[in-house]
Amino acid sequence: MSRRHVSRREFVVGTAAVAASVAVPAFAKKRELVVISNRSNPQQRVALERIAARFGQAASAKVSVNNMDHEAHKTAIRNYLVASPPDICFWFSGERMRGFVERGLFADISDLVAAQGWSKVVPAMGAVSVQGRQYGLPTAGVLWGLFYRQDTFAKFGLKPPASLDELVSMSDKAQAAGLTPISMGTKNAWPAAGWFDHMNLRMNGLDFHKQLMAGKVAYTDARVLKVMRQWAELCRAGLFTKNASSYAWEQAAAALVQQRAAMMDLGSFIKQAFPVGERDQVRFQLFPTIEAGIGRYEDFSVDSVHIPARAPNPELAREFLAYFYAPENLKEYIEPDGNPPARTDVDLTSDPLIAMATNALKTVDGTSQYFDRDANPDVAQAGLKGFQEFMAHPERVDQVLSRIEHARKRAYRRK
Amino acid sequence: MRANGPTVANKQLAAGFLLAQPAAYQAVVGKGAVMEGSSSKVLRRATPALLLAPGLVLFFVVIVSSAVQTFWLSLHEWDGFGAVRYIGLDNFRELWGDPQFWVSLQNNAVWLVVFALAPPLGLGIALLVNQKIAGMRLAKSLFFMPLVLSLVTVGVIFSWFYDPTFGLLAKMAVLLGVEVPALLSSERYVTLAVVLAGLWPQVAFCMVLFLAGLNQLNTEIVDAGRVDNARGWNMLRHVVLPQLKQVGFIAVAVSMIGALRSFDIISVMTAGGPFGSSSVLAFQMYEESLFSYRYGYGAALATVLFALMLIFIVWYVSRLLANESDH
Repeated sequence: MSRRHVSRREFVVGTAAVAASVAVPAFAKKRELVVISNRSNPQQRVALERIAARFGQAASAKVSVNNMDHEAHKTAIRNYLVASPPDICFWFSGERMRGFVERGLFADISDLVAAQGWSKVVPAMGAVSVQGRQYGLPTAGVLWGLFYRQDTFAKFGLKPPASLDELVSMSDKAQAAGLTPISMGTKNAWPAAGWFDHMNLRMNGLDFHKQLMAGKVAYTDARVLKVMRQWAELCRAGLFTKNASSYAWEQAAAALVQQRAAMMDLGSFIKQAFPVGERDQVRFQLFPTIEAGIGRYEDFSVDSVHIPARAPNPELAREFLAYFYAPENLKEYIEPDGNPPARTDVDLTSDPLIAMATNALKTVDGTSQYFDRDANPDVAQAGLKGFQEFMAHPERVDQVLSRIEHARKRAYRRK
Repeated sequence: MRANGPTVANKQLAAGFLLAQPAAYQAVVGKGAVMEGSSSKVLRRATPALLLAPGLVLFFVVIVSSAVQTFWLSLHEWDGFGAVRYIGLDNFRELWGDPQFWVSLQNNAVWLVVFALAPPLGLGIALLVNQKIAGMRLAKSLFFMPLVLSLVTVGVIFSWFYDPTFGLLAKMAVLLGVEVPALLSSERYVTLAVVLAGLWPQVAFCMVLFLAGLNQLNTEIVDAGRVDNARGWNMLRHVVLPQLKQVGFIAVAVSMIGALRSFDIISVMTAGGPFGSSSVLAFQMYEESLFSYRYGYGAALATVLFALMLIFIVWYVSRLLANESDH
């Protein structure tokens, strides 16, 4: 066997190549930012990429935005936060955030929030706080309530209901006119749970609702039963779409658009269902009062952006947050989605749907998020299924509640 | 020839194989290269093992180890990233008392029973379209079509078909003046409605298997049958069907395992709903693990499903081995 002779020239070239290949990535690694987004609205994705690109130029960093399917991201985040965290990720505030904070997976950014004075312009800062410390920034929220078409209401002489009695009489009138009073698609179960939130907040108030969501009250409690009895009466009065579990929310919204239904319980994103030319007919109203003397408590689900605790480039990530959260950039990001912004100094009231939600928010006394965002995931899953079943079979109220209660006991026994 | 040392052909075969696997060649030949005789002996013995190795490694890593791991996990409580806590058979005890588990199990049984229709239906259609009649080519391709579609597409098409407002089924019912319940919202009919959607491509699959079998018929035996004046039912029963036994066996086995594997079409059409009435074990496992974050419980469901599948797998393999020893 003969040994190959390496010339001096070859040796020099080789060494230089090896040195370069080692040195370049080390240099580039200094300024690199990875963002994982879960946004499903394509225009919003484009806006985020635009903002990221601008930040990359200003900070001379390489910024990559990885977009994931909204539902797939909900499970993927549990893996990537532990195994290979990005520098920035989008998520939900409240209970869903708290789970990660308790396991030390989201970075504490309280000092950044204080230095920027964000608390003064962000009333929803509590949604990203755990024991007074902030672990993310709220971007925008969905305010849930009843939507209707002004022309439908004018045509059939309907009146937006302010109380339970008015809701029932609106329902009778709508049914007489051949309309579904409340369009409801429970194929994906959550719309039913949202209706439960409204009724529980109206009948038992925010404190009780929060305790229930935190697993501190049994679902078989008399106060919950009272809500369910009232709800069952509405079901029997024909308030909701028949065979609701055959339809997703989009199909239920289509019934509203096509004037086959009077109202629908949803967030401002209902605008996606309306043709552009008909959006000026859409009106919004908060859920009617049930018990007098209980404040206006609403579901307001806040989306948020976070820095994972083990982000490879936390300093650059904080720079990015400061840039992204500047009013003009946040506005650009939220605009395509049609939900009220978390910052009070971001003005999107030129969009009538956002304006209605923003104005309604000013009259609200307190907020929770949404059933499946507030409750422990195991209980939430049992609840979603249970409320879906309840709407189809109100007579099964006891079985439904005891099944959710079973899940609650199981979930909180662990802790 | 088998027992008497390496033949030239054998040697070449082994060498040829090993050249394609330089690392393996190093490992096997490197040490034994001193003595020419023993090295070729080692080679000859190692060849089958080496040929089997890639498949075996894959099988053990992907299937056996994950099955063992799943069983191990089914004895624990785990939320996906926290601590894993040993809880013995608690998950299985909970399964026993979980009404959803029994609904899922029952639905799996419905799937098995309905899917058992796929091989006979497929055989019937195969016999039909195998006739030399004008237009059969078109019929054949129409029957074949669902096999080309992905199950997700089939699911979407069928959920439109079943839609209680604008679905074809509802429109037909109106024309006929009868009332059809909203199938995908009905606890009672939802599973049947989903299985029928799943059956459509499954029948097409069985048809293709049987068509291939019909083209492989031994013409000598068929001609001999003709000489003996067999036709019609007798021809089918005593000459054709016995030759399709192998194909039929595969069609049944694949349909049964397909019924137990059912997941995607359920996910698309109903997501297990309404309120879990159309769930099966595979779907419940997915839901418990990924939405309720109960990975241990999901693993317990997977273990039960695995045990059920094992019955069919054992039956399939034992039949396969029995056939092999016949020949």
